[in-house]
Amino acid sequence: MSTVLQLRNLSLGYRDLTLFRRLSMDIESGTTLAVLGSNGSGKSTFVKMLLGLMEPLSGNLKWPMGKPREIGYLAQMTEFDRRFPLRVRDLAAMGSWRGFGLRSGLNNASRVRVETALDEVGVLDIADRPLHMLSGGQLQRTLFARVIMQDAPLILLDEPFAAVDQSTEAHLLWIIRRWQEEGRAVVLVVHDLSSVLDHCSHALLLGRQEATHGTVNDVLTPDRLVAQGYLSESQASWMFRSAPSIVEPANA
Amino acid sequence: MLDLLTEMWSFTFMRRAFVATTILSASVAPVGAFLVLRRLSLAGEAMAHAITPGIVIGFVTTGLSVMSLLIGGLIAGVGVAILTAFLARRTILRSDASLASLYLIALAVGIFILSAAGSAVPLKSFLFGSILGIDDASLILVGGVATVTLISFAILLRPLIVSTCDPVFFEARTRRPWLTEQGFMLLLVLNLLAAFKTLGTLMAVGLMILPATAARYWANTITGQLVLGFVFALSSCWIGLTLSYLFPETPSGPAIVLVSGCFFLVSAVFGPLGFGRRMRKSAVSKEVPLAQIPQEERAR
Repeated sequence: MSTVLQLRNLSLGYRDLTLFRRLSMDIESGTTLAVLGSNGSGKSTFVKMLLGLMEPLSGNLKWPMGKPREIGYLAQMTEFDRRFPLRVRDLAAMGSWRGFGLRSGLNNASRVRVETALDEVGVLDIADRPLHMLSGGQLQRTLFARVIMQDAPLILLDEPFAAVDQSTEAHLLWIIRRWQEEGRAVVLVVHDLSSVLDHCSHALLLGRQEATHGTVNDVLTPDRLVAQGYLSESQASWMFRSAPSIVEPANA
Repeated sequence: MLDLLTEMWSFTFMRRAFVATTILSASVAPVGAFLVLRRLSLAGEAMAHAITPGIVIGFVTTGLSVMSLLIGGLIAGVGVAILTAFLARRTILRSDASLASLYLIALAVGIFILSAAGSAVPLKSFLFGSILGIDDASLILVGGVATVTLISFAILLRPLIVSTCDPVFFEARTRRPWLTEQGFMLLLVLNLLAAFKTLGTLMAVGLMILPATAARYWANTITGQLVLGFVFALSSCWIGLTLSYLFPETPSGPAIVLVSGCFFLVSAVFGPLGFGRRMRKSAVSKEVPLAQIPQEERAR
């Protein structure tokens, strides 16, 4: 296991709003980090900072193995245009796009990789279907194929299970586990305390201008979740009494 | 009928008009396709009005020459595009409201100067185009703009696809996302200027939008969208020019755009992604179990 990214004394926020202060943590290859927090706590902003789209207020990011050429990224689908005239295979192929230029098209090796990626996520049989005819689950599977095409050592997924059914979620979680086994680091923004956390080795809890990092078991305790405003006291006592396994991941 | 077409073809100005609009169709088709796909159809119309003061000032100071048209229009168009982006980034106004405010000011300035310049200005051909006005310099302008546009699209096509379909992913993948946006706006202004002589300021954007919206009803891929858009634009120009010749009092701009409008209406009714899809779906739904129809289709 090697360190992909080191965060040191990092504070994040906007000009008039600090989201959290002095976070120091490492993101290791072959691990999956769950990022949790209430609305507005800075989960998506944290992901944007890792992508280099915004600067931290203070502190720094270090890439011990060098900044990777590719960072796998799956954003929330709020700005995604599902009516754009593309087929499933074209959207997956977008993952191998490397920028401007006449020679930025697909070569034969990439075409084969697109087929393999679509097969892995289970949408090869609808590879020629236009995007506007896909269900939410089929679209999310295709976007996972695009992440596979990016072939990145660090993968950032912003609420990838927000609009998918249980079978799709199980399939996509299997892919995340495979990425972990391949030695990639995965950062997974999740909205709810759910069985998804069983697949995460570490957690980062954001809220009330604090950021707490550690193993899932250490971070997601009732006291901590209440202290950082993620749950109310009554929610915490109900949740931990009736479904304690939710926050006791098997592989932590 | 054949005699009439032979007679039409014998006139040099008609041959020039056919050549100019053929080249123009190849140039405006990709610009129009992305105006529609990027939800900038009305912004294209606004930009057509925004370049008016530049063209008018060029006309009033140096006459209706291609260079004055190009320089004046470019300064006005790029100026409005930059100011719009500046207002949208630095103030509370969104880009549509910023552009609307600026184009209205620009249009008012243009019409004010045009009126103040007096009767020497051919207002009708200025607003609606004239096939008689296409000289060698205009042909060179159209050819030059088409060359620049097609070469630029060879470079910008993939970034434009990615940024239009998934802007968040695009911003994460490139260090200069504005380059694609501003490059596209520059191509828009250039093509509006190239279309100005044939179609006039009011109609120039019609040849971009209507063939593209018509093509959208048929195309499931970006290649289909671009090729069909070109076919519709070219057919509109040829049929529209012929109509303009047959009815001498009709300016070429409205004639061409009217034919484009017919393509749009027919496509909306019969295209598989227009009402044609509903007709086909109601026929299909009798045979296919509900579970096999994608969820989103069902919701509609």
